[in-house]
Amino acid sequence: MFHRASILSKAVFLFLVLAGALAAKAPYPLAAGYGVILVVAALCGLPWFRIMVLSLYSAVFTVLYIVSLRGGVLTHTVLVFKAITPALAVLTFVVSTPYPKIFSLLSAFLPEILASGLFMTYRTFFILIEMMDNFGAAIRLRGGFSPGSLHKNSANISRGIAMLLVKAVERSSRLYAVMAVRGYNGSMAQTGADGFHRQDVLPIGTGIAVLMLALLWR
Amino acid sequence: MTHMHIPDFVLPVWLWVSGFLLMTAALGISLLLLRSMDRKKKIPLLGAISAAMIVAMSLPEFFFYHINLSVIAGILLGPTLGFVAAFIVNLMLALLGHGGITVIGLNTMLLGLEAVLGHAFFTLLKRVFPVFWRAAIATVLTLFCTTMLLIVIVAASNINPQDFLHADEHAFAVQEGPLSVLKFAGLVLLFGVVGWILEAAITGAVVKFISQVKPDLLGHKLHEERHQAAPRGEHFD
Repeated sequence: MFHRASILSKAVFLFLVLAGALAAKAPYPLAAGYGVILVVAALCGLPWFRIMVLSLYSAVFTVLYIVSLRGGVLTHTVLVFKAITPALAVLTFVVSTPYPKIFSLLSAFLPEILASGLFMTYRTFFILIEMMDNFGAAIRLRGGFSPGSLHKNSANISRGIAMLLVKAVERSSRLYAVMAVRGYNGSMAQTGADGFHRQDVLPIGTGIAVLMLALLWR
Repeated sequence: MTHMHIPDFVLPVWLWVSGFLLMTAALGISLLLLRSMDRKKKIPLLGAISAAMIVAMSLPEFFFYHINLSVIAGILLGPTLGFVAAFIVNLMLALLGHGGITVIGLNTMLLGLEAVLGHAFFTLLKRVFPVFWRAAIATVLTLFCTTMLLIVIVAASNINPQDFLHADEHAFAVQEGPLSVLKFAGLVLLFGVVGWILEAAITGAVVKFISQVKPDLLGHKLHEERHQAAPRGEHFD
């Protein structure tokens, strides 16, 4: 259901969850909202466990900020849920939406340089990840990692990053040239977003549920 | 540490809204200055460096610290395109759940400032040090400036926990005295210094390698004079 919903409805879902996180004053409604999103994701066949783990990543870094604050456990718990609930909503949005649709929505209101830059970054990111994996395997196989030798490891990693950067620029330039030959001019073939339809009830309903929990559960 | 991992709605509304306004103004100026750039050459470079920054930021290296490559972005892309890269990186990271959506403005300002300052320091030091030390010193100076700015932002956000709680919940809160910005600053500087050195060493080595292998990548217009003056292969070292 989430996959079939329009991107506009999922953007509204995201907005409603963000509004709910802004309005919440206690951890309980946000925890309930987090649970609601997780259940919906599971029912829709999304990789709920993986997106849950990824959403908890934002909580790790919240800890460093929390140490600077007064207040007790309750305050800190609110902050953690204010971090992980919108993160879960964003991840649900990303895993259920094909990337051309996300970029077509973005290119409808972003300037061409930003839209093209975002698109090239997205494409190059996966090229780099693959190259990084290969580099990691190669450096291990050739004895580039020496436990305890920080200097040697740093030097090898730096050279590896530099090499990856140079190769990424070359691959990216080739990719852009191919896209330009095929008619790419800075925007996706389908720009903007379709209107609302029947499948949009689920994301919008979930968003409203999270917002209502935050507003009514005081 | 200068890329804030502060999630959504932790900072006061006035602060993150100001961040968005500042970011919009700075992006507007950057895009205005980039109107005549060679898109065929610069957009793939922007994509590659932004992607490299995201990959680098996804790899935790030392406790909470991870490398940013933002100074490298400033050196390779120049200040204006470096700022655009900072925006792209923060938007993508927010979409991946790494950092909040509402702090994109402040994070872009911090990371963009790193690109701008990194480029400025690297250019200012060009007649003083060889390329490795130029890049490394530029990185340390830049990260020091932006870490101080980060501490100022956190101090400005002076959040009262009572803003989050209701009267019946106050009993749960443990009042610990004055807001410990100093504690935060101490932690950030303690881990920051080690991180700065790590980032400086990596930035220096990467920029040196690029200057030897593909010096044209350092051919931003502010480096042109040096490029034209020096014979091939002796550009930077």
